[in-house]
Amino acid sequence: MEEQEEYEPLIVAFLCNWCSYAGADLAGTSRIQYPPNIRVIRVMCSGMVHPNLVINALTKGADGVLMCGCHPGDCHYLEGNLRAEARSEAIDLMLVDFGLEPERYRLEWVSASEGDKFAKVVTEMVEQLKGLGPSPYKM
Amino acid sequence: MTEFKPKIIGFLCNWCSYAGADLAGVSRYQYPPDIRIIRVMCSARIDPMIIFTLFKEGADGILVGGCHLGDCHYISGNYHTEKRAYVIEKLIEKTGMEPERFRLEWISASEGERFSKVVGEFTETIRGLGPSKVKEDPELETKIGAAVGTTLSFRIRALLGHEIQMAEGGNVYGEKVAEEELQKIVDQAVEVEFRRNHILEIASSKPSSAKELSQVVGIPPDEVVNHIATLRQKNLLGIDHIDGMTPFYVALLAGGD
Amino acid sequence: MAGPVGAVMVVGAGISGMQSALDLAGAGFKVYLVERGPSIGGVMSQLDKTFPTNDCAMCIMAPKLVETGRHENIELITNAEVEMIDGSAGNFIVTLKKYPRRINEERCTGCGVCAEKCPTEAIDEFNEGLRHRKAVYVPYPQAVPLVYMIDKEKCIGCGICEGECKAEAIEYDEKEKIIEVNVGSIILSPGSSKFDPSVRSEYGYGEFKNVLTSMEFERMLSATGPHLGTVVRPSDGDIPKKVAWIQCVGSRDKAKGNTYCSAVCCMYALKEAIIAKEHFEGIEPTIFFMDMRAYGKDFEKYYNRAKDEAGVRFVRSRVSGVQEDPKTNNLILSYVERGEIIREEFNMVVLSIAMNAPEEAEILSHRLGFDLNGHKFVKVELFEPMDTSKPGIFVGGAFAGPKDIPGTVAEASGSAARAATVVASARETLTEKKEYPEEIDVTDQEPRIGVFVCHCGINIGSVVDVPGVVEYAKTLPNVEYVCENLFTCSDDTQTKMVEVIKEHNLNRVIVASCSPRTHEPLFQETMRQAGLNPYLFEMANIRDQCSWVHQHEKEKATEKSKDLVRMVVAKSALLDALQKGKLPVTKRALVIGGGLSGMTAALGLADQGFDVNLVERENELGGNLRNIHHLLTNDDPQKKLEEIIGKVSNNEKITLHVGSKIEKIDGHVGNFTTTLEGGEEIDHGVVIIATGGVEHKPTEYLYGENPNVMTQIEFEDKMTKGEIDLSKSDKIAMIQCVESRNEERPNCSRICCSEAVKNALKIKEKNPDAEVYVLYRDIRTYGFNEDYFQDASEKGVIFVRYDTENEPQVVARKGGLEITVKDPVLDEVLKIDSDLLVLSVPVLPQPDAEDVGKMLKVPLTKDNFFLEAHMKLRPLDFATEGVFLCGLAHGPKFVDESIAQAYGAVARAATILSKDEIEIEPTISHVVDENCDGCAYCIEPCPYDAITLIEYMRKGSVKKTVDVNESACKGCGCCMATCPKEGIFVWKFKLDQLNAMIDACLGVA
Repeated sequence: MEEQEEYEPLIVAFLCNWCSYAGADLAGTSRIQYPPNIRVIRVMCSGMVHPNLVINALTKGADGVLMCGCHPGDCHYLEGNLRAEARSEAIDLMLVDFGLEPERYRLEWVSASEGDKFAKVVTEMVEQLKGLGPSPYKM
Repeated sequence: MTEFKPKIIGFLCNWCSYAGADLAGVSRYQYPPDIRIIRVMCSARIDPMIIFTLFKEGADGILVGGCHLGDCHYISGNYHTEKRAYVIEKLIEKTGMEPERFRLEWISASEGERFSKVVGEFTETIRGLGPSKVKEDPELETKIGAAVGTTLSFRIRALLGHEIQMAEGGNVYGEKVAEEELQKIVDQAVEVEFRRNHILEIASSKPSSAKELSQVVGIPPDEVVNHIATLRQKNLLGIDHIDGMTPFYVALLAGGD
Repeated sequence: MAGPVGAVMVVGAGISGMQSALDLAGAGFKVYLVERGPSIGGVMSQLDKTFPTNDCAMCIMAPKLVETGRHENIELITNAEVEMIDGSAGNFIVTLKKYPRRINEERCTGCGVCAEKCPTEAIDEFNEGLRHRKAVYVPYPQAVPLVYMIDKEKCIGCGICEGECKAEAIEYDEKEKIIEVNVGSIILSPGSSKFDPSVRSEYGYGEFKNVLTSMEFERMLSATGPHLGTVVRPSDGDIPKKVAWIQCVGSRDKAKGNTYCSAVCCMYALKEAIIAKEHFEGIEPTIFFMDMRAYGKDFEKYYNRAKDEAGVRFVRSRVSGVQEDPKTNNLILSYVERGEIIREEFNMVVLSIAMNAPEEAEILSHRLGFDLNGHKFVKVELFEPMDTSKPGIFVGGAFAGPKDIPGTVAEASGSAARAATVVASARETLTEKKEYPEEIDVTDQEPRIGVFVCHCGINIGSVVDVPGVVEYAKTLPNVEYVCENLFTCSDDTQTKMVEVIKEHNLNRVIVASCSPRTHEPLFQETMRQAGLNPYLFEMANIRDQCSWVHQHEKEKATEKSKDLVRMVVAKSALLDALQKGKLPVTKRALVIGGGLSGMTAALGLADQGFDVNLVERENELGGNLRNIHHLLTNDDPQKKLEEIIGKVSNNEKITLHVGSKIEKIDGHVGNFTTTLEGGEEIDHGVVIIATGGVEHKPTEYLYGENPNVMTQIEFEDKMTKGEIDLSKSDKIAMIQCVESRNEERPNCSRICCSEAVKNALKIKEKNPDAEVYVLYRDIRTYGFNEDYFQDASEKGVIFVRYDTENEPQVVARKGGLEITVKDPVLDEVLKIDSDLLVLSVPVLPQPDAEDVGKMLKVPLTKDNFFLEAHMKLRPLDFATEGVFLCGLAHGPKFVDESIAQAYGAVARAATILSKDEIEIEPTISHVVDENCDGCAYCIEPCPYDAITLIEYMRKGSVKKTVDVNESACKGCGCCMATCPKEGIFVWKFKLDQLNAMIDACLGVA
């Protein structure tokens, strides 16, 4: 049990280049602090992220996957984010098949001016994953 | 009733005041035994932060002794001490603590008698004031905590560090800045930083609204709102919850300048 | 005489100036973009959201900021003002005064340590004074150029920043500089200024703490604003429950403000009210207004949404005064409703303040020698809306009159086209083309990765153990070289980087520092100088997304930095060298529609030397302008039309196809082929849609049954031809919004109020004793047209408002009509006996717009107007490249607005036509034929319709696969994420590349 106290979740995050990655940068320029448990992979659009990437990350030991895109209507590619939203439903179902808690995958809209929101989302997710404990796939 | 034994700390510079105290001993000048002497190489070593940390811990009185102006072993150290003492006094005034609990004196190596007299008087004063109220008055403790925070703020430290240079050697534009002008700048910075630190101290113990903060800090609520904006910008303050239409703020540990 | 100078100066770098600069630079001209302030972006950078889409202003603007900042043909000159001008159109010498920034623009890296350490606070103007900034500052975090500036007024000169600045960029003794610039033409876009509401002392601004201006409230709403998006009362920090907006503060105000309407306040008040409520449900917004002027494209729908869904309350009344309850700091508003004086308490008041002419209007006018109008805006003619009175000097954006962002952007492009006309013959004489060493082929080489880890002064190094990261990076596979730099982005490091790449034969480069969003292009440039393909470059963001956000967890931040480096090293090994695709451009435009917009666009293109084919379906040119006989201004529309038709017909660059219809359009940007009915084929590189609109024919109010009922255009025609005797028919009623702003046609047609005013004034001119009634819902004579509405009222035209619940009733009486209407203010039913009834009916798109839309695969709105790429910032473009839009086909608009859009479309088209070939980003989709089984799942998700299913014969059987149209694909990757077989991917974001990052992150590589 002692080990569990030291458990620091690891989150793989896919951030769209135009809104969410910019929002994460803004959290930086505004020096908004959040836990260092996140590893960001920049993608051009949230609609680019294949569900297999999410599942790969989760089954290879990531404790959580965060996907961030532009708010509906703001997508640089018109509606890529809506694709991501639709796929998220499928991902949610896949989580069940893989015996993973739904909290391990999260989709959030973060705009280029929402540095604070990005920090908040990460903080919340880290808290939540701490409560959940390590991924069953963790080696 | 137990007799009040004041806890008095004396910071003495090595070259003048400490020598003066030694001389008092050599000359067998008597003075009350409540003072505890800490030898420092120069009175300028005394960071205002140390003063307020000691007051926060419950010190009843603090005496700082240095060389007379012009006699400093390090040429200008005591001029810096003077500037620091000014900020310390300003801050004590804002905390509402008795100003007599802090005293700065210039004591030379030959002034053994004067040293014993100063300590005698100071001990008398402190006995008259009674024990520090910091531990029994949470409001005062908070304010002293705010004073500690203020002395730690980069802004105050930076100003203290550059004040003399700007007055004597001129600023970076080659303009000499008048003493009064500088004093105004320092006064204002001390006021603002103290209020902000006070707000943070309060908000770190309990989520508070702007109106509550205004009452405790003793400044109008619109000024509090301005300070909140700055503190939120620095990520030192965040909204804890909103009750009805009133946001309650809490200090954030993660933030910083 | 020598030819013109191939450079243009743009004065003022808000959204207008940026758009003009980008269009000109993209069309082969050198641009000097001069800005008074320390950074570009203007008013739009201060906005939280934008109407009517509620887009985040910064999100949509930031890419434009970055593009402007790094465009090789745009030279930014900030902190500078125009002092003097010499010469004439084609060759001006402009003298600029550049004020000292006191920070070296070349050396400053924008790290911000100076501001962090500065002990002096100052009022933050960017946040409208609701927060503090430091004496050394940038206006906002995304500022371009990201160079700090010392506010000498506020700076006490302590010298701390100089000590802290590791880039040694501080220059306290910098002096004013005089700069001379040689340009061929000039565009003025200094924007507007804000009306000072304390002039209207009855509203208590400056006196009562909870009375804010609309811009102050805008900053409050912003996530980067003083309270990070929480709306609070300045008096006590509570969230206001009841918030009142007072409209027309300083607008439509003859007594103390401007007589004109500021054209944007109704919409921004709606937006602020909606967003405020979105931020905090408990807020109850009320808007006090005279007329709700939601006249733009889809604005009325936005208004309806505010009313019906967002819960915004509307009170049609002018607030006469605001008082404060000193105890609560609440505000008591007095206003009249249904004849009663009402006093109502609010928690906060927002004043929708007027847009004034920019402060420097008179100075500029004096120094540059152009005329201002009575409102101190630039004086322009209706048919030349971007031309100032001085040849060679043009105007864009709000300086020509108050306008919203789409109007500004369209006009900015328009002024770019006008400015380009002057210098067209000197295109590409002053632009630079960089030469690079030949690229090294790395295809068969093993990856040899170089990693450059940045301290960024102390920004990274003070948190992350940079030497530790360096040592770690050396242990990673394929890494050949690692070093650390104080500032990796500095000039000297760039030079060193080129040497290192050559010396160590590196074929992949990684920089671990800040954000690729801002710095990738810089390093890619260095790659090219070293002979490497720029796509073999990657960044690890260990500052913005690590050291800055984990300042107190140094060890963990270091671990994270190592992980981030490991992840990009893994990806980097799998990177491919990519080449930009090139498409030849047919330097010819097709303009569809020969009305005012189409003809203007054709002339604009021809003036810049491009060939144009103009197709008009009717048998004569002119479109709707043929029906216009007089205007609010003194211009004679028929005379103008004749002139324009003459110019179009005699221009050798323009080939006319009058009485022709288009059968089909094939191809894509750069290479379209259009087939006309009858078989004629036209090859062209771009298309401009100017198909126009038509007047709706109503069915209500006895139209078509009674000869005395007619539309405005019919009335104008008859009046002009003398078919109406105004001495006999001297009682005329007009009804506005007929079959408009209803469920079937929810939008407002923008021009009808001004048209009614125009015809009413004409009647009064011909017969001052005539009785003219205008029955309206809202009078929407926005902008300077408000003056004509006031004029009409003063001349005795009677304006009667009606509600939708009580629409006017019309019955035929002997010799005339009887109209009954309920006046909602007086609550009385009015009976009007009139000789004529004129109906203001909506403008509809051309019925065949849909066919054109289908042929070009561009979308239409629900009302069948064309739908542009972005309502705010790309009003004339489509998502499909090479297709542009102007005039009534976009939505109802006036003559000057149509002309501005037409020229705007020209400028947009010129960015393509000026090039021999266009480059295509290589980071787009690519089909892996072996994997693709032709399931076609990827086709529907593609937002650009860039994928088609094809079949071909392979080994004797039919193989299905998909094909990507490279000129349409933008690389979003929706196809890649949909494909079940790994049959399609986006270069640089291949599945194996992303998986490598995941594996490296999780340590399972």
